Amino acid sequence: MTPDNLDLIAGWVSLVLTLFIFSYLLGDNVLYRIAVHVLVGVAAGYAVVVAVESVIVPWLNQTLGETLDVFIFGGDAEGRSTLTLTWLGILGIFPFLIGALMLLKYSPQYARVGNLGMAFIIGVGTAVAIVGAVAGTIIPLTREAGESIEDSALNGLIIMVGTITTLIYFQYYAVERGGDIVRPRIIRTASAVGRVFITLTLGALYAGAILTSLAIFSDVIRDQLQFILDRVGG
Amino acid sequence: MRRHRLTHFLATIIVISSGIVMLIGLSVKPGTMPADLASFTLEVVSVTAAIAVLLGLLNLLTVHLNRFIKAEHGWPYSIITLFTAIFVLVLRMLDHVDVWPDDMAGEQVSPHLFEAVQVSLESALAALLVFFLVYAAYRLMRREVTPWHILFTMAVVIVLLGWIPLENTEALADLREWLVQVPVSAGARGLLIGVGLGTVTVGVRVLIGQDRSFWG
Repeated sequence: MTPDNLDLIAGWVSLVLTLFIFSYLLGDNVLYRIAVHVLVGVAAGYAVVVAVESVIVPWLNQTLGETLDVFIFGGDAEGRSTLTLTWLGILGIFPFLIGALMLLKYSPQYARVGNLGMAFIIGVGTAVAIVGAVAGTIIPLTREAGESIEDSALNGLIIMVGTITTLIYFQYYAVERGGDIVRPRIIRTASAVGRVFITLTLGALYAGAILTSLAIFSDVIRDQLQFILDRVGG
Repeated sequence: MRRHRLTHFLATIIVISSGIVMLIGLSVKPGTMPADLASFTLEVVSVTAAIAVLLGLLNLLTVHLNRFIKAEHGWPYSIITLFTAIFVLVLRMLDHVDVWPDDMAGEQVSPHLFEAVQVSLESALAALLVFFLVYAAYRLMRREVTPWHILFTMAVVIVLLGWIPLENTEALADLREWLVQVPVSAGARGLLIGVGLGTVTVGVRVLIGQDRSFWG
């Protein structure tokens, strides 16, 4: 076995699996399902490989590994006190404790205890989402919408109107009028304008998705055809 | 029941306290104590997420193993999933031990497998999408013709045709450019700001303990 042989095997495997996936154009079939189950297995395996090699092992090396190195193997403490090293070891175990708590969610009896581990992740995740939404989406986009008026007054106005009416489209403010619950006329009008902008946006995004998958399709066909031609040509 | 209430209470306290610590840490200047604490907490959560991936694989293997043992519908596919997942892990370990013969010394086999299997399958699936997207657009108009459907299809057609580099069709290209830069940009901004506002609203509700639906 040489690296060239390995590339050849990889090329054949790639060609066969691509054909399996394209067989779905003829309808759901065994070959397509085999390919999809291969993808699930390989993707899960790789996700674990990446998680272990890029996150868990470096973390253990930086924390628990340092503590064990000094206390058990007599390594250099590099000026750190025993207390610091002990804390480093405890902190190193902390994510594993949360992981163990999450494992309890498998058990119907102890699932609620498992919520304690999830609570920590939800708390941190929520705070990150809030800061990300404010600093990364709301403020920059609102500022950009305001600045667009400076470039071209008409286009800027359309952008402002589009942004505001799109937001209004998702407002369900209603009032009681003559026993009926109705949306005020101004909200209904703004909402209809917003719907025009949303429809155009979704249409353009849809076309973008078609173009992207078309580009990938041509890439896949070119690569596989090139592989076959290389083999036929010797 | 009392024990359940206690765990619920403790979980809510953990959500609120960890959330507030993070909010403060992410809002202050880098290098300060709260910022360092937030950065450390983020690292802990990323390690926990990696452990969750491990647990996810364990769950996947258990589910497929049970399906195979009980000979449930589609069990042969479960063997494929089990085999490929374990194969990837074993191959990676062999890469680390470097057991390959002399010709392959120092060679990593698992990246080849990744390229041949995962990249190929994902590309093929993405390529397959073009057929279904075009078919879905065709069915949309066939099913019912409404002003909204016409507007949607017009946007799709303008963006697609404007992309084709034809001669003497600058007007179409300009129209596409304007459509993307003005109305589409406005709609996308509105949608994204809406998502952002929704995220903040739900986040604040979670952090003040008003929304506890995620406990199930």
